[in-house]
Amino acid sequence: MWISRRAILGFDGAIGPTGRYDRGAVAATLTKSSPRFAHQSEAELARILDFYGVAWRYEPDIFPISWNADGAVVESFAPDFYLPEIDLYLELTTLRQALVRKKNRKLRWLHQLYPEVRVKLFYARDFRALMVKYRRLDFLADVAAMNGNGPLDDR
Amino acid sequence: MIHADVEDVLLTGEEIQARVAELGAQLAADYEGRDPVLVSVLKGSIIFLADLVRAMPMPLSIDLMEVSSYGASTESSGQVRILKDLSSSIAGREVIVVEDIIDTGLTLNYLLRYLHDKGPASIRICCLLDKPARRLAPIEIDYRGFTIPDRFVIGYGLDYGQHYRNLPYVGVLRPSVYGPAEPA
Repeated sequence: MWISRRAILGFDGAIGPTGRYDRGAVAATLTKSSPRFAHQSEAELARILDFYGVAWRYEPDIFPISWNADGAVVESFAPDFYLPEIDLYLELTTLRQALVRKKNRKLRWLHQLYPEVRVKLFYARDFRALMVKYRRLDFLADVAAMNGNGPLDDR
Repeated sequence: MIHADVEDVLLTGEEIQARVAELGAQLAADYEGRDPVLVSVLKGSIIFLADLVRAMPMPLSIDLMEVSSYGASTESSGQVRILKDLSSSIAGREVIVVEDIIDTGLTLNYLLRYLHDKGPASIRICCLLDKPARRLAPIEIDYRGFTIPDRFVIGYGLDYGQHYRNLPYVGVLRPSVYGPAEPA
């Protein structure tokens, strides 16, 4: 079974004296150390969230979504970000259609198995639009040059 | 006359004016006798604010704020900054935050936390354009002009590179203006 968000937040001391999430404590404890991101786009999104004071955690939970006959987990889904203040997972996804289809399928299973879990898929076009909004097309160009393809395309 | 950089007109000037008049009338009715303060966020919201207050025949005041944007601030402290603060106290006042567009909601989410700390009697949100597709912060909108699709819009205060704010309509910017074509 996956580790509960409440357990994570409780462990981090992010619950304030009122029993509600303490924003400052959440931001300080969850984002004080930078994790090793799988992709530059994830690091960029983390910087944006930091800029606007939105607390996040990187890949805090792994959700098993299929098991073999022996009960062993054969497939799981680990969303990229968790935003504790709004209880939302974010998953950045890819330009490659085959991988998008695979991720969409995983997401459907996740919704069936864990209906209480809220996950928002952030497609490559969404990320690109975000970079346009913030005039960060240079970042997109750098990523593309480094990978020889588009943002999130090498996952 | 449609600007050459506009791919499509999403909302005509007439449609905007009609909806702004409706919003103004609704706000005037809801805030009758309450002398609200309308707080707007520079720079994009000023045209909407100017039209909105003229559709509200009642005592009210306005104030302006400006906050740094992520893209313009990547070299600085790495945190949003208040570039222009409120001119007057809002403690005990009925505040209406007037926004041109709510997209990710990140800026407004920050501003709401900031304004709540100033002790207003209430805060409500009035936005002309709601683009919910990429929302990252939960925002409850009390007065909404239009819900729009996930496209890059300009005009009626909205800019790209500080241009196009003076267009009287809301249009979709041609992608060729801001970069190479999106990968297929």
